[in-house]
Amino acid sequence: MINVVHVSHSLGHKTILHNVDFYLHENDFVLIFGPNGAGKSTLLKLLAGILIAEKGDIFIGPKNILRYAKKELATQVAYLPQFDDFTLPLLVRDILLSARYPYQSLFKRYSRQDYEIVEKTVERFALTDYVERNMQTLSGGERKKVLLASAFIQDVPIILLDEPLNFLDPAGARQVIRMLREMHAMGKTIVLVSHALEYFYPQATKMLALKNGEIQYFGGKKFSPELFRDIYQVSVKRIFVENKEIIYIDE
Amino acid sequence: MNKKIYWLAAIVFLFMVIIPFLGIVPIKWQILLHKNPDSFIFWQLRVPRTLLGFVSGSILALSGLVCQNLFKNSLATPEILGISSGASAGAVLALKFNLYIPFFGLGGLVLFSYLGALSSVLFVLLISRMVRNASLYTFLMCGVALNFFYSALIVFFQYLFDYANTFSLLRWLMGGISVVGYHEITLLGTLLLLLLSAIFLFKKEFLLLSAGDHFAQSRGLPVQRFRIYAFLGLTFFVGAVVSICGPIGFVALIVPHISRLWGKNHYGQTVLFSLLLGGGFLVLADCLARTLIAPAEMPVGIITSLFGAPFFLALIIAQLKKAE
Repeated sequence: MINVVHVSHSLGHKTILHNVDFYLHENDFVLIFGPNGAGKSTLLKLLAGILIAEKGDIFIGPKNILRYAKKELATQVAYLPQFDDFTLPLLVRDILLSARYPYQSLFKRYSRQDYEIVEKTVERFALTDYVERNMQTLSGGERKKVLLASAFIQDVPIILLDEPLNFLDPAGARQVIRMLREMHAMGKTIVLVSHALEYFYPQATKMLALKNGEIQYFGGKKFSPELFRDIYQVSVKRIFVENKEIIYIDE
Repeated sequence: MNKKIYWLAAIVFLFMVIIPFLGIVPIKWQILLHKNPDSFIFWQLRVPRTLLGFVSGSILALSGLVCQNLFKNSLATPEILGISSGASAGAVLALKFNLYIPFFGLGGLVLFSYLGALSSVLFVLLISRMVRNASLYTFLMCGVALNFFYSALIVFFQYLFDYANTFSLLRWLMGGISVVGYHEITLLGTLLLLLLSAIFLFKKEFLLLSAGDHFAQSRGLPVQRFRIYAFLGLTFFVGAVVSICGPIGFVALIVPHISRLWGKNHYGQTVLFSLLLGGGFLVLADCLARTLIAPAEMPVGIITSLFGAPFFLALIIAQLKKAE
């Protein structure tokens, strides 16, 4: 599904990513973690086609990411940036509808079908109260929900998320996680950058640990206290609740 | 649909019907179909002037709106980014050296205004290319610098002008919309229609862009290319208005602001409000400009700035208070 082949990237003189190489299958749920400045966000931007890798290749499906037209790539990958700064007022409805943009042709208005897709998603994720509101007036959690719903409307197989729980209270975080779980269950590939290991560990199928732009670990989900200690200098423990593996940070 | 739009349209229309009758020479409606000096004043001076006021006010307001969308900030307008002053400098240059080259059927100044405006735009685009992660503040600072530079250039040329020319130049620089006949209006009117259709044809793109670059890009919009084309196109509209009316301040800044509030952030409504408010505001301001100190007349730019600046400040303070 996603094939990252020996990718290196730098900003100015600073190397951000060094020889990053991994392969993801369809319906993987990958948790990317690592200390601040490890290159996580840059990696996600490369996968989203927002940045172009200096060295190496990225394949989305069978095709190199560079050979995709912008719109075509947007039918494969949705990207939720870490910071969504809506400096201008924008209606939630317009944000949701704009997720149909990759399927539009020049000068054409959004079709009835597009509106129906939006309407269905709004009902599905209980967003009815928001649609006529201005994005700026939503709370962080509401905003993330809207953006996640828009990724759903975009109807892509791959969803990239950068710190989706940033600034969220526990209730907002739980809703976002529930939405993600639902999308994963539908067969979407989820690539997620987050420090919130405890939240996403149960759901993840794969893990990718980054440090100083290099991969420390990539593979199936594995409980490895040494790895977590190496990355975050914390000790992580786990318990099993009804056969579910749950991890927590032990002081 | 928002009822306010119909009300506003009705009020603006009413103003536009009444205003040509007002002035030093009061016009009686009975003479309108006769051929005499009064009806000449009415049909050849005041009606065109009112229409020109409306059309240029609308273009200014709409280009302000588009510019704000392109830069995702309500402060980013053609005047603040230095486009208007670039256009003025171009026009002053043409005035000074008597360079009149007709361009697309528009008067001689348009080409030079456009080139002046273009120089500002290219500068802004160059900066955005040179500086990685150029933020909005980079552009605003850039605009401030350009404004100072072009103002200095204009004053420099002013010193080179002789006395009589300087006065007419100064008047033009304060913005004015006195015209004779309908030539300019048909041209600017066509431009207004073009601008409006572009705004509605690219609605999807403008909405995406106002949500942020990465956001728009991840939805498949070639952000850089679209912004450059849109910006270059916009420059033409601003240049055309400036070359005919001079740099009229504040319309592009405050009108879109109010329009967003009234239009409740609906794209179409915001555009219509900008159109009506921008046009209406300039018509009213021009009426004041030519009646307040009658029989003399002052440049309409004075009125728009006198009312616009405090209004804008009040708006900003109100917004900051609300955000607290």
